[in-house]
Amino acid sequence: MDETVAEYIRRTVLKIPRDEIKTMLQKWGFLSEKQLQTINFHQIKENVSQDVVQLCEANSADIKQAAVLDIIYNHIYPNKRMWSVYQMNKTGEETEIFDLTDFKKKFKRRLQSALKNVTISFREYEDNAIWIRVAWGTPYTKPNQYKTSYVVYHSQTPYVFISASVLKSNLPLLCQALVLASNYHDIREMELRSHSLNSLKDIVFKRYSQNFQTYHPRPLQERNAAPESGTNEKERIQRVNREAFGDGPQPKLEFAQYKLETMFKSDPKMDVLDKKEPFRCLVKFYSPHLLESLKSLAPAGMADAPLSPLLTCIPQKARNYFKIREKKGLFPGSFVSP
Amino acid sequence: EPQRTAFLLRKQWTLYSVTPLYRFSPARLRDYASLLSAFIAAEKQKGLAVEVGVELDIKVAVSSLPDLKGSDQDQAGILVQLSLRSQASKKNSEEKMVWSGWFCCVFGDDLSKNVPEDFTCLPLFLANGAESYTSIVGSWFQKTFDCRFRRLAISPLSLSWMAAMWTGCKVDKTTSAMELVFSVPSLPYPLDISYAIHPEDAKALWDTVQKTPGEITQEEVDVFMDCLYSHFHRHFKIHLSATKLVKVSTAIASAHCDGIIKFLQSQYLTGVLMLLTELAISQIQ
Repeated sequence: MDETVAEYIRRTVLKIPRDEIKTMLQKWGFLSEKQLQTINFHQIKENVSQDVVQLCEANSADIKQAAVLDIIYNHIYPNKRMWSVYQMNKTGEETEIFDLTDFKKKFKRRLQSALKNVTISFREYEDNAIWIRVAWGTPYTKPNQYKTSYVVYHSQTPYVFISASVLKSNLPLLCQALVLASNYHDIREMELRSHSLNSLKDIVFKRYSQNFQTYHPRPLQERNAAPESGTNEKERIQRVNREAFGDGPQPKLEFAQYKLETMFKSDPKMDVLDKKEPFRCLVKFYSPHLLESLKSLAPAGMADAPLSPLLTCIPQKARNYFKIREKKGLFPGSFVSP
Repeated sequence: EPQRTAFLLRKQWTLYSVTPLYRFSPARLRDYASLLSAFIAAEKQKGLAVEVGVELDIKVAVSSLPDLKGSDQDQAGILVQLSLRSQASKKNSEEKMVWSGWFCCVFGDDLSKNVPEDFTCLPLFLANGAESYTSIVGSWFQKTFDCRFRRLAISPLSLSWMAAMWTGCKVDKTTSAMELVFSVPSLPYPLDISYAIHPEDAKALWDTVQKTPGEITQEEVDVFMDCLYSHFHRHFKIHLSATKLVKVSTAIASAHCDGIIKFLQSQYLTGVLMLLTELAISQIQ
């Protein structure tokens, strides 16, 4: 067995939490049940991984098999990577039946014709998700198994989730190969990124409980009523929050970014800045669970209810990167996000 | 002059306030270096060493920073540097500086005028390097000069002041944004907000708020911050004033509420130190 393969397997096993190693090796299926029984999974991980490598050696593992173990690891722990969402476009009404073999063939062919040194692995899962692992080399060097890109393609949808490696230069080639293989026309990157792959899927597949942002102008008396105090206000905030965010759990995002190019407006009697050019700002929100965090601001007294649509629109617009400009015309207080 | 203090720039300094030092003599810096060196060696023997298992020689240098003062009444800054010299390569005397700390007083008249003759006022201490070294050096100074070190926190009020003041400073190349960082730790899921404004636009706003050049009032700082808060509220409906301002970053310097500072422009070093000296003195009194 190649030394680099041995080292790669050793390092991959080391990443796995000790209690999960046996299950993952079983899923991998490269080592027999009998072989797995010879391993003491209660020893320290260093020793477990050495034992695994020795058994792989006995079975003459090659890089292709090692790559499959890596896919399995990333499928169970996708949140270790940062994922971006891409959407493919087709013109015309061709509704072709998806042919997996054809897809794999075309994908490999496109990559391999451009780059001789590349390791490509596929694994299909029940939810029509095709996981693709690509290790990149150069015309002169073997593929670097530690510099991998991951693609998750749900064949019944136009969406592709990509976790590119450091080598961003390979991204155009990767996108090209996807478009060709899936018989689409082109592909564009959506302004949506997160570590939580499942949340990204929830957002683009609309699998979360959505809010209803319709306009219900309230009857005049209600609108002009004096502000309510105490529990009524609390109830109102909860109700408005529910309307804005929906009832169910929010998709998990860690980050939202807004590039503001709007005008600075102030109270005229404050006698401050009155420029005709935009007041340029960059605002970033960070949280382990951003949408839940934003949802809790109004009840905590730190924000108005309803919260700004710039924030509540994140799941529906399926983006967390925005550029905001002033909307010209009738309603100077409103914003557009191109 | 800027060259001598250039080494202070672009490093992260942890801030402390220091009570006046009893019977400190600026003429005895060499002696202090030897005494501190012996103290560190003794602490190492006692097993309170920093580097475990590695035989390393710590060299101590104590020097004066004559440029680091505000008025003539101020005591000149004092710099302490710890370097490591590996036993193995003792001959080629290659030293690696591992820790530095400096005392200073910039326009500290409020403190020094009220203090008896035997005391030296150097209320501000800045340290860069491992916390364990800071602890050892601090212990020696506390023992030797009967003083007390305390971490210097920076309140949101002071941070706002810094934001306004530093935004108004003229800088040659305005590449760094004016950034405010807010934290809301008490939520079920904590939230951090970074609000960065283009430096030209921030300065344009401040220039219309500040009425008298060279002078800043609390009211002007409040108006400036309110403008920024209301611009933010207009977009997001969030009240930044209800959150905690934890960090301010400009082209001049950056400051964090835990008492951490970074100087970025030597031109404004004295100005920032003056403000920090004031905060240190407040904490002491």
